[in-house]
Amino acid sequence: MIALDILTDGFFAAVAGIGFGAISDPPLRAFKMIAILAALGHACRFCLMTYLGVDIATASLFAGLIIGFGSLWLGKKVYCPMTVLYIPALLPMIPGKFAYNMVFSLIMCLQNMNDPEQLDKFMGMFFSNTLIASTVIFMLAVGATFPMFLLPYRAFSLTRH
Amino acid sequence: MKTSESLLSIGKFIAEYSAHLMGAGVHTSRVVRNSKRIGEAFGLDVKLGVFHKNIILTIIDKETNEACNEVIDIPAHPISFEHNSELSALSWEALDNHLSLEELTEKYRKIVSAPMIHPLFVLLLVGFANASFCKLFGGDLISMGIVFSATITGFYLKQQMQKKKMNHYIVFIVSAFVASLCASTALIFDTTSEIAMATSVLYLVPGVPLINGVIDVVEGYVLTGFARLTEASLLIVSIAIGLSFTLLMVKNSLI
Repeated sequence: MIALDILTDGFFAAVAGIGFGAISDPPLRAFKMIAILAALGHACRFCLMTYLGVDIATASLFAGLIIGFGSLWLGKKVYCPMTVLYIPALLPMIPGKFAYNMVFSLIMCLQNMNDPEQLDKFMGMFFSNTLIASTVIFMLAVGATFPMFLLPYRAFSLTRH
Repeated sequence: MKTSESLLSIGKFIAEYSAHLMGAGVHTSRVVRNSKRIGEAFGLDVKLGVFHKNIILTIIDKETNEACNEVIDIPAHPISFEHNSELSALSWEALDNHLSLEELTEKYRKIVSAPMIHPLFVLLLVGFANASFCKLFGGDLISMGIVFSATITGFYLKQQMQKKKMNHYIVFIVSAFVASLCASTALIFDTTSEIAMATSVLYLVPGVPLINGVIDVVEGYVLTGFARLTEASLLIVSIAIGLSFTLLMVKNSLI
């Protein structure tokens, strides 16, 4: 049952990665690698959060690291720069629920100007959601970029035939 | 200099090359590295100052100390990872195989004019992507269907408006509004309607400038990095505006 959960999570993340990648016009040979990286990263974050109880920011950092190292390794096989593979793979991990709650609580804040209790509640909700959403995005980007600093020579010559 | 081409024509080519890379959504350090590499292939020293809208570059012949300056505007291209990887490969090819400027220009034109993925195919893929995104957030099958149709409507609208070269922010506000309005039909059914509404606008998130901005800042190109991040956050604000129009209309049934 657990294995099935992880596999479905990876599958849907792969579909999401391919679709969001297609908006940015990647080369056709990169699609397979994007799917693998997206599935791997999201399944890893899912496992960390569900079974080990890690918080979303730390889990995102680890998922970002896996995607970053994966793109360094797979990039050489299809002659693509790291960013071409890891940006679409990171997109399924954008914390959409928190971003939505951010907008929702902001509107409710403005609607409840005259009710201090409600205002407080939505203000708190707005700040916590903003904080989490931006931290997660920053962690994802830093995690995936880290391998570029660790192995600069390899990262910069991925497209050399 | 190793070749017979004039310094000026090589300068013009490198300027156009680097401006195209910046326009196609490549992070700044890669643009600088690729341009310097092409210069190196001709025995030239290339120095660039990259801004968000222009590039200033000086090309110096290492033997004669002749120099040539160029300033070029960065054109607004759609983001293209294909151009990113093919043009990066071209810079290595220039260095390794010692291509002449004529061959280089010809290959560059061929890469730049290659057709992009068909818009209808992208539309379908984005629909499926957003539907599976809905599933990842815990949505059920009905919400997935609703998100799929909402995304297709919104993204089609976005493609058509972008074809007419409308203002970016208006495009984002309108498509976020339409997509979330379509998704708000989920409130009629007994389903995870809040998740459906939250995911319906996520296909608009400007992920490439957002992540490129973070990379640029971390690598020390703070100016271009913050310019990219500012642009991305303005687009996110536009999405929020579009979404909030819908939320204001349906908020009574959400609480």
